[in-house]
Amino acid sequence: MPGPDKETDLTERIEAFLFDLNRGGSGAGPLRGSAETARETTALLRRITAQARWSSAGDLMEIIRNEGRRMTAAQPSETTVGNMIRRVLKIIREEYARSRGSSEEADQQESLHKLLTSGGVSDENFRQPFAALKPNVIEAINELLTELEGTTDNIAMQALEHIHSNEVIMTIGRSRTVEAFLKDAARKRKFHVIVAECAPFCQGHEMATSLSKAGIETTVITDAAIFAVMSRVNKVIIGTQTVLANGGLRAVNGTHTLALAAKHHSTPLIVCAPMFKLSPQVRRLSFLSDFYRYCEILSKVNVHCPVFDYVPPELITLFISNIGGHAPSYIYRLMSELYHPEDHEL
Amino acid sequence: MMEPKYQNLVEYFRAQMRKDPDMASAVAAIRTLLEFLKRDKGETILGLRESLKWATDCLTGEDSSVAVSSGGELFLRFISLTSLEHQDLSRCKKVMEERGELFLEKISMSRTKVAKLCHTFIKDGAKILTHSYSRVVLRVLEKAAAEKKRFSVYVTESQPDSAGRQMAEALRKLNVPVTVVLDAAVGYVLEKVDLVIVGAEGVVESGGIINKIGTYQMAVCSKAHNKPFYVVAESFKFVRLYPLNQQDVPDKFKYKADTLKTVQNLSEEHPMIDYTPPSLITLLFTDLGVLTPSAVSDELIKLYL
Repeated sequence: MPGPDKETDLTERIEAFLFDLNRGGSGAGPLRGSAETARETTALLRRITAQARWSSAGDLMEIIRNEGRRMTAAQPSETTVGNMIRRVLKIIREEYARSRGSSEEADQQESLHKLLTSGGVSDENFRQPFAALKPNVIEAINELLTELEGTTDNIAMQALEHIHSNEVIMTIGRSRTVEAFLKDAARKRKFHVIVAECAPFCQGHEMATSLSKAGIETTVITDAAIFAVMSRVNKVIIGTQTVLANGGLRAVNGTHTLALAAKHHSTPLIVCAPMFKLSPQVRRLSFLSDFYRYCEILSKVNVHCPVFDYVPPELITLFISNIGGHAPSYIYRLMSELYHPEDHEL
Repeated sequence: MMEPKYQNLVEYFRAQMRKDPDMASAVAAIRTLLEFLKRDKGETILGLRESLKWATDCLTGEDSSVAVSSGGELFLRFISLTSLEHQDLSRCKKVMEERGELFLEKISMSRTKVAKLCHTFIKDGAKILTHSYSRVVLRVLEKAAAEKKRFSVYVTESQPDSAGRQMAEALRKLNVPVTVVLDAAVGYVLEKVDLVIVGAEGVVESGGIINKIGTYQMAVCSKAHNKPFYVVAESFKFVRLYPLNQQDVPDKFKYKADTLKTVQNLSEEHPMIDYTPPSLITLLFTDLGVLTPSAVSDELIKLYL
């Protein structure tokens, strides 16, 4: 019987994915980049759409939301999982609206305009079945996957506009996006890169090795030397783990220090972040409780080792994403294009 | 012939405000205008618009707050949008009445939506500073208290009408520890405070707000102390004004309606409101979602253009 087999196969894959997510977080498993996680999540969601049993868009959205909640619970600090789920939910809404024939604009955000002109209570319960819905949704998810594959290249293509010859660029830790960005510019320009090592994981060392292999003059500095060296720097280019809805960042520990030093010296701070890192969360005064992993080395000493930093939007000059460059104040607009407000809370 | 109509209109408005003191003045204004629409005996859409404009002017003459003016403008916009779809007057009026009722229903839910969005930003043990009496802020704090969060509130007295004391009374009824401070003590108390939440009488196009006098001061001090400054406002308070500084705010909003009618030399009067620029505001909580100040003009453009 193909039915139950497909289902057990699907459940197995979901369980394996959840297990990987969990392991990746505790540091036991292989460290995966967020692009990889995003691609795997989307592929899994495509599989769920293809194999799970559902009759209407509403059912599919419920299934995806439930699986989504489990996935985000497995690794809360990996926000790309939640972002991809919200993208897919928006895709389903759009395809449903298109199948129904109503214009795509109609079911978008709450706005003053919508408040005034809507004729009745919106009957958006997504219960109407459409035969063409499944292939349409799967095609749209395939387009999303293609977009995900091209993000690093799209960002790297913009490098030549931003990096000029004989410039000194500072970065922190290791970001695959920034690595590709700098390597692309290095093909035509000669410039110098200073990498802050980002203790205690010291990922900056790997970044420096990789950049110097590409022929870029690289210097590694300790985190404490950031402010001292900043006066010689022309630009700061960093990656991030998440871009928050107010234009702020959740980035690797030490980024806030870097951003403040850059602001002090009026050095532009450029963030290279693909669109799948954009999250509808806003920073709350959680006093860093989500940002910690604890290490206890002696019985009387607690070593607090925050993994992430919050960088407020005022310190950021420009975001470079796969769809171009934006100011931090524009992030809210991109959010409304990518996600539906009802999906902000899964 | 005009007098009885004017009297009826103003009486209806006042009755609405009296019946439900919790209702926002803009909602009462829109309700009054809807009633006016139902009773109007005009023959043409243009005539209807003219009489509605006249009615809005009467209402702003009665209560000069920004909210009433923005509510009136919103209603006029609603009429224009609806009349574009249906050319026939009687059909148009029927649609307007139905949609008007629906619209009123939706905006009466807006405070609940705002409270739902904002209360998560109040953490356990937080100390909040607020200004004067705002029903929206009260609703947010009610929701936070209902979620069993422990927090304490500092309220400014807010002269000249001591509205802050009314706020303190209401908060005491919720068993929230509250302290009334002098308006001049805002800078002094800010080091103890974790966040500042204020309401707004109007949200302007730049993303700044118009609110009771003393709000601008509080915003500047919050910026200096690096404390987040949150604004809670319903979406019908968005108004098409773009003041560049305090002088730019029209006089008709700055003073109470009776002051405008009776006093000759306005320069001797104390303004009741001030303008807070968007650079001092961290986030705005509205029923359309959590917005950064730059998102506000987007919303207004979507409606008016």
